[in-house]
Amino acid sequence: MSNLKVDNLRRNYGSVEALDGMSFDVAEGEFFCLLGPSSSGKTTTLRAIAGLEELAGGAVHFSGQDVTEAPVQGRGMSMIFQTFALYPHLSVEANLAHPLRRSGASSADVKKRVDEVSELLRVTHTLKRKPSTLSGGEQQRVAIGRAIVGRPKLLLLDEPLTNLDAKLRHEMRAEFKRLHRELGMTMLYATPDQLEALTMGERVGVIKDGKVVAIGAPRDLYQHPGDTYVAQMVGSPPINFLSATGSGDNQVELPFLGLPVAAPGVASGQSVTLGLRPHDISLAGGGSSRATRFPAKIHLTEPLGDVTVIDVTARETGMKMVLREEIAAKYNVGDDIEIAFDPEDLHVFDPSTGARLGNGATQKN
Amino acid sequence: MARRYREIGKAGWGYTAITGLVGFIYFFPVFWIILTAFKTRTDALAVPPKLFFTPTLENFQSVFFRASITTGTSQATDMGLYFFNSIFIAFTSVGLALIVGTLAAYAFSRYPLKGNDTYLFIILTTRMMPPIVVIIPIFLMFRLSGLAGSYWGIILLYTAFNIPFSVWLVKSFFDELNPEIEDAARMDGASERRVFFGFCIPQILAGLSATFVFGLILTWNEFLFALLLTGVETRTVPVAMARTLGGEVGVDYGLLAAIVTLFLIPIFFVTFLLQNQLLRGVTFGTVKK
Repeated sequence: MSNLKVDNLRRNYGSVEALDGMSFDVAEGEFFCLLGPSSSGKTTTLRAIAGLEELAGGAVHFSGQDVTEAPVQGRGMSMIFQTFALYPHLSVEANLAHPLRRSGASSADVKKRVDEVSELLRVTHTLKRKPSTLSGGEQQRVAIGRAIVGRPKLLLLDEPLTNLDAKLRHEMRAEFKRLHRELGMTMLYATPDQLEALTMGERVGVIKDGKVVAIGAPRDLYQHPGDTYVAQMVGSPPINFLSATGSGDNQVELPFLGLPVAAPGVASGQSVTLGLRPHDISLAGGGSSRATRFPAKIHLTEPLGDVTVIDVTARETGMKMVLREEIAAKYNVGDDIEIAFDPEDLHVFDPSTGARLGNGATQKN
Repeated sequence: MARRYREIGKAGWGYTAITGLVGFIYFFPVFWIILTAFKTRTDALAVPPKLFFTPTLENFQSVFFRASITTGTSQATDMGLYFFNSIFIAFTSVGLALIVGTLAAYAFSRYPLKGNDTYLFIILTTRMMPPIVVIIPIFLMFRLSGLAGSYWGIILLYTAFNIPFSVWLVKSFFDELNPEIEDAARMDGASERRVFFGFCIPQILAGLSATFVFGLILTWNEFLFALLLTGVETRTVPVAMARTLGGEVGVDYGLLAAIVTLFLIPIFFVTFLLQNQLLRGVTFGTVKK
């Protein structure tokens, strides 16, 4: 059963179309991520679902009811805002208690729930303090606590990790997954960070210019991106795009490769865009097919600790690849290396529409 | 050699002395008035001015009780009433302006009209000219409506004068607030009324205090309209003060200084009470949180 159904939402700010036919469904108990760059309409979508936006069109169905025109209060949803939006004049305890008091719970009940939630989120020691005296991570956890204390049926999360440092972000990703498992509530999570979307979402909706352009499980979106936009939104470092031309016989020619690569369905003379993920490029070993190994020159390295992102140039075509740190450490900027890829990892796109045409294939020799 | 940086929060004696000197120069006129209030008439007019003298409370006594020139007996003056008038009129009108201004500011900030800025500009135009240019029409309006000389007349006038200033200042405080906090409160089930009173107002208390004190100081010292539009019963202290000038016995500087000294007390008191809030209010939004 679909718990939340967002149908063709429209919203303009002046001449800018913030939402242009935003549609998607979220199942009960699902962790759904909306992934899109800034100003693609993520926040507006969440606010529209919460009832905080005036819509020009479309409908929001929640728990089988049309709530498009329903008041904000009492929708059974709560939201974690990007700024956390804690009530600065109230203590942490009062912040956590607020959603309960509004629903008319007895004060014994309120106390019990606040204690439970602060325990769950490890903020018990801050209860008497004002939010401004808390660290970023504590504020974040209080914001989560306030959002879940009233046991909402739907939790909306608007880039809740953007204001945190990298280490905390990592911890909080795990925290959100744990909460989702323990509380079992439906979660709708908006983020511009593909890593967050891929690690947390059971399904991910990729947004472009106010509408969803692709929905799928993270693995599917990564392995079979429907177009170049999805391909570059999902995956880090971003996918390499290479121009190639069909050479007939279902093959394409890449400027830096000596031999053509099999790409079923590509006609002779047809120009295509090939997508090749940095993780799919490796150092050429003894087993690499001659067709897909080529020399390249390292011109930039970005050590990330465990892995190193290496920018290489092969016959003036630049691309990124990823090597494990201990291997990458053997090479310096300016070194010539021999690298290779598996043709099956090539994604073939139409350069004008960006649509997916198919995959590369291993040469049938 | 690396230059040593002074620890923040610890100024040297030199800086403290300079600040003290500048502060004293600012405070000196006030200090002199207060000193004069404790001088006899002879001491007050002494040349060169006396810094050391035997203080007297005579002047304060004669603020409220004065010997009649004709009979020589001590009579109560109306100064007590005038002090009451000043306090009542200033606090009521500034309070009213703050209430109306805050409501309007919230509306301007959260529910902008088409052409919001134009309306705000129009509101401010009333403060762009010296009040004296509108004194004749206002005087006539008050005469015709019968408001001249009444409490409500002068209170409404001061309220109207304070509203533009209140709207502009308070709007800037509302603009600084994070609207997501209000949205969060709504989603938690708070009604619009509660969002305003329970979440917006508590966040800008410092700003409201600052607005109140600024308005109060302006209104407290207002002379021109008070002179023209108050009657015997509703006269404020600045007008009463002016009336002690001149007369058959010349200017009684000791008496005048005593009135001024007493007149300073309420403002000192309010400002002192609100000073922590005031500091936060005037720096509101200037420091990124």
